Amino acid sequence: MTEQITDVDPSSAALVPVGDEIVPAGGGALVSASAAPARAAHAHPEPRQYVLIAVVLVVITGMEVATSYLEGDVNSNLLIAALGMMAAVKFFLVVAWFMHLRTDSKVLRRFFLLGLIAAPILYTIVLLMFHVFNSNV
Amino acid sequence: MTSTTIATTGHAQPPAHTGEHATNTGISNMKLAFWAFLGSECLFFGAFISTYLLYRGRDTLGPKPKQLFDVPFTSCTSFILLMSSLTMVLALAAIQRGDHRRFRIWLGSTALFGLTFIGGQVYEFTNFYREGLNLHVNLFGSTFFILTGLHGAHVTIGIFWLLSLYSRSLQGKLTTEHAEAVEVAGLYWHFVDIVWIFIFTAIYLVPYH
Repeated sequence: MTEQITDVDPSSAALVPVGDEIVPAGGGALVSASAAPARAAHAHPEPRQYVLIAVVLVVITGMEVATSYLEGDVNSNLLIAALGMMAAVKFFLVVAWFMHLRTDSKVLRRFFLLGLIAAPILYTIVLLMFHVFNSNV
Repeated sequence: MTSTTIATTGHAQPPAHTGEHATNTGISNMKLAFWAFLGSECLFFGAFISTYLLYRGRDTLGPKPKQLFDVPFTSCTSFILLMSSLTMVLALAAIQRGDHRRFRIWLGSTALFGLTFIGGQVYEFTNFYREGLNLHVNLFGSTFFILTGLHGAHVTIGIFWLLSLYSRSLQGKLTTEHAEAVEVAGLYWHFVDIVWIFIFTAIYLVPYH
């Protein structure tokens, strides 16, 4: 794999490999080619692709609403799982395409994922503490 | 094998599409800070969604969700909010290619869709209030109004933000150089949309036992 360093802070005297990245020893900043897409005008999708994503979102929303009317005919746990999955797909499509996280810098993705992963873990623990998933309570 | 080439120009370059100052990561500070803010907003809304789930279906007094909800109506307002995400991203695409007329059309449409969504929420809140639901009557009332009300407040802030961009564009103060300002406003707008995706499912669609 070839990584090209495109720019370096003059304050950094030496380079130290940390994981798969090369970092200035003096704490100076260095930008690797992996960060370069963020500074270049990243290629956003064409308007036609946005419209296509919106159509998919509308279809999923329709399916969600239709699914909610199956209450009583289908096992409720199955229904909740299906609704959760459809909401997650919609969430992913908006974040990846409309918010451009698919093509934007990895750093931005990590920032957002941190909150996104921390929130469900934290609140699942809270809900477990209150026995929300225990039907006997 | 890693081949490393170092250009010792000594100057970090600014992001290509903005007039922002240079950063060492190559990402503008505003965008980076805004994504961190959105990460914290996940925790903010997560707290209220989990509180709603915690108290869901535990009421013995007052109106019940099934007696009040009009799912077809809320589905329509959800659809409108979803479409506003499309118009927002089209507005961004328009300003990035320098098409200011289309930018204003899409941005205005986004604000209009947002206003329609808020109008629907006000209508719904008024109906629920008339049916006897308020912040104090039961747990459903307090958790429902707090969660959806906070989301509505976020949408309202977004509308003001979009209108200010619209006004700046009309005055000729929002050029292609400022596309990042539109991108950040768009991130906020899409975020309130994705939060609604989960609120809509958790409150209106998941069956009540």
